[in-house]
Amino acid sequence: MKKSIVLIVCIVLSAHSFAQKFYTKNGLVSFYSKATVEDITADNNEVLSVINTATGDMQFSLLNTGFHFKKALMEEHFNEDYMESDKYPKSTFKGKITNLSAINFTKDGIYNTAVTGDLTMHGVTNTITTNGIITIKNGAVSATSKFKIKLTDYKIVIPSVVKNNIAETIDITVSCNYPNKL
Amino acid sequence: MTTINFCCRQLKEAVTRYCQKEMSKRVKIIVAVLMCLVIIGGIKAWMMWNKPHQDVKDADAITTTSAALYNSFLQNPTAAKTVYVNKVVQVSGEITQVNHNQQNQTVLLLKTDTPDASINCTMEGEATDIKQGITINIKGICNGYNSGDADMGIPGDVLLVRCYKTN
Repeated sequence: MKKSIVLIVCIVLSAHSFAQKFYTKNGLVSFYSKATVEDITADNNEVLSVINTATGDMQFSLLNTGFHFKKALMEEHFNEDYMESDKYPKSTFKGKITNLSAINFTKDGIYNTAVTGDLTMHGVTNTITTNGIITIKNGAVSATSKFKIKLTDYKIVIPSVVKNNIAETIDITVSCNYPNKL
Repeated sequence: MTTINFCCRQLKEAVTRYCQKEMSKRVKIIVAVLMCLVIIGGIKAWMMWNKPHQDVKDADAITTTSAALYNSFLQNPTAAKTVYVNKVVQVSGEITQVNHNQQNQTVLLLKTDTPDASINCTMEGEATDIKQGITINIKGICNGYNSGDADMGIPGDVLLVRCYKTN
């Protein structure tokens, strides 16, 4: 009886010690639009992201006004006309790593990962599935992913006059180092 | 009679010539004005297209402390948003961490009254003589408050971007 209690305590404690949350408040989300007239890129370096290694929960949130463009006018149009950042200040992703068992967060390595979750942007939520890479190096966790979104899926309307300046499908790149643990 | 007819014809031709001359002068003026408008419009459009980003370094700023700025977003987010968001803000506070982001820009965290919550400053200007523990004045554009994750126990930060160290 005593032995089994000790065993249970050990299991609970060991499970707890692995149940870690890694987070960053300065992750990077970039987007790239390739169109006939011009290519547009913008970066947001103030992305909050959390990975719960026990449950596989993965979250991202950012302020839309944090996207920095090469040209000031692009930034203005992005916030005022397309993203309506005043009305919809945040974009979020809440999802789960679907192949959690394939990732050993305690062992250095490069792990292919699959994530499914809800991407909320411009007041619209869509379920997306994407692949990414989780890297563990000397215990430090980092994650990258690339995926595409269609602007019409998020009710972002591009006026016909600038139709040739902005792509209908935008490439999103996510890159986060997770220096903080909980 | 023939003389009168001749005079009339001469007069008519003179009037037509005059009118044509006047018309062509008018057309020329209109074309010139239109061309000027197109050129001015083009220059204006080009200037707007290439409008530089706001000059943060030399801009007038709203001055506050890191703790006061953070508390104002916690206590009354709507009012804080009106006062600070998209404005140049100068914050005085103690550096709790010096980090680098994915694009190798320096990121300073300034202390607030809430544990693990900071004024998160992404530097655009030089970041020399910056170390943990010192009190510093930072000027940047306030992007707002990115709430953390209450379920996971992570408090949010107030974000300042394109920051410069000031005196």
